[in-house]
Amino acid sequence: MMTDVQEYDLSNDRSGTIARPAIPAVQVRPAASSDAVPQSADDAPVITTDALSIYYGKFAAVQEATMAIPPRQVTAIIGPSGCGKSTLLRAFNRMNDFIPGMRVTGGLRCLDWEVYGSKTDAVELRRRVGMVFQKPNPFPKSTYKNVAWGARVNGYRGDLDELVERSLRQAALWDEVKDKLHASSLALSGGQQQRLCIARAIALQPDILLMDEPCSALDPIATSKIEDLIDALKERYTVVLVTHNMQQAARVSDLTAFMYMGRLIEFDATNTIFTSPHNRQTQDYITGRFG
Amino acid sequence: MTVHFVHLLDELQRRSLRMASAVEDMVQEACEAVAHTNHELARRIIARDTDIDAEEVAVEGEALRLMTLFQPMGADMRQLCAILKVNNDLERIADCAVNMAERARHLDADAPADVRNELTAIFPAVRRMLHEAVRAYAGNDQTLAERVLTEDEVIDTFYGEFIRNIAALAHQSPERMHALLDYLSIAKNLERIADHASNVAEDVIYLTTGQIVRHQGK
Repeated sequence: MMTDVQEYDLSNDRSGTIARPAIPAVQVRPAASSDAVPQSADDAPVITTDALSIYYGKFAAVQEATMAIPPRQVTAIIGPSGCGKSTLLRAFNRMNDFIPGMRVTGGLRCLDWEVYGSKTDAVELRRRVGMVFQKPNPFPKSTYKNVAWGARVNGYRGDLDELVERSLRQAALWDEVKDKLHASSLALSGGQQQRLCIARAIALQPDILLMDEPCSALDPIATSKIEDLIDALKERYTVVLVTHNMQQAARVSDLTAFMYMGRLIEFDATNTIFTSPHNRQTQDYITGRFG
Repeated sequence: MTVHFVHLLDELQRRSLRMASAVEDMVQEACEAVAHTNHELARRIIARDTDIDAEEVAVEGEALRLMTLFQPMGADMRQLCAILKVNNDLERIADCAVNMAERARHLDADAPADVRNELTAIFPAVRRMLHEAVRAYAGNDQTLAERVLTEDEVIDTFYGEFIRNIAALAHQSPERMHALLDYLSIAKNLERIADHASNVAEDVIYLTTGQIVRHQGK
């Protein structure tokens, strides 16, 4: 036991930092680190926002967010409840269209589209930009029909059996369901149902997968499988993930955006965000000081 | 839970700083034991090593416990990493002080005074470097930590010259070999203490900036 020695002052005492900080008057623009900057045309951003604001009536759920999401990487969006992260995610493939009073200002480009442009085909946009939701929502049909349904509706003329198998393999589900493809998908476990929903999205051959808290309804084992799957998916797809679980964002994402009260506070490499964030609000959030 | 974690982290930091103070005391006393050939003081320093070893294990255990239970991020994680790394360096510094004390117990009153005077001249620089490193650690002082790193070269230069002098003296007066080897060992431990102080300063820079500055410019 150490006794009778000089006491050093703790000038870095944290007890005073727990208070909720004020919102800065000037938005911090995302500063992508060197490993997040596009290096060639193939690495050009697939989603870009330019001072994007999204309103529900008079309420600005997202305020002047500017960011560029690179291809074939996992980008996580984190922030406390009500910060606008799901609203931003859902704007990327226009899932907010049917919310009364919703309007958008600023720029939002996704792949080749001006997302809210008058000539944009929202159905085609949603085919190329798939969505996986918080709770698994398989159709009350067989596993096979769940995966094949979207392709059929879109007039797919290839080998459906091959498409179903390929999609289920990419979703790391094939080995578990190959002997019961025509059994009801509702008999699958929650984790399997979520991977089935991912397979269903993949079957439409999208470029981007949006995931809105895909593991929040799953147990730790199923969560681990989905996280492994996300890591594998980025070889082919761009993944944008909204999560409340900061450890999950730290584990699976390459880039992380932190939002607070509608504003994009910081956007950088995940390693930077979770070890040495530049913004004090990000620092306070990831260390649990507020939110 | 966050308030609880912050309290535990601050308490661990204080515990680490108490250990740093104890280690500083050991180094100071080791220097006195060498300068005044004080065998009793040397014996007491050697006896304190067990306390430091036990404290090192306790601090490491608590740091690992906090990492496991709270999964900290950002500055909190850097703080815990710094505590772990500084903890290791402090224990090694205490070992160096014990090594110096053991050499001091070998020395007798008629050990070559000229060599002793040359050696003791560097004591203040080593002790100041260690003290500033610990002060930088206590106050998250990046500027002070960077200054500590520049001071290591002074100690290294001294050590190089001291080796050459010892070699020349050993050649001239082989009958003094035992005492010369004791002084050489003491000088080596001083140089190691300065190296560990540099490590602490590097950890402070990581703590404050997130940048790992080890092995740069060498």
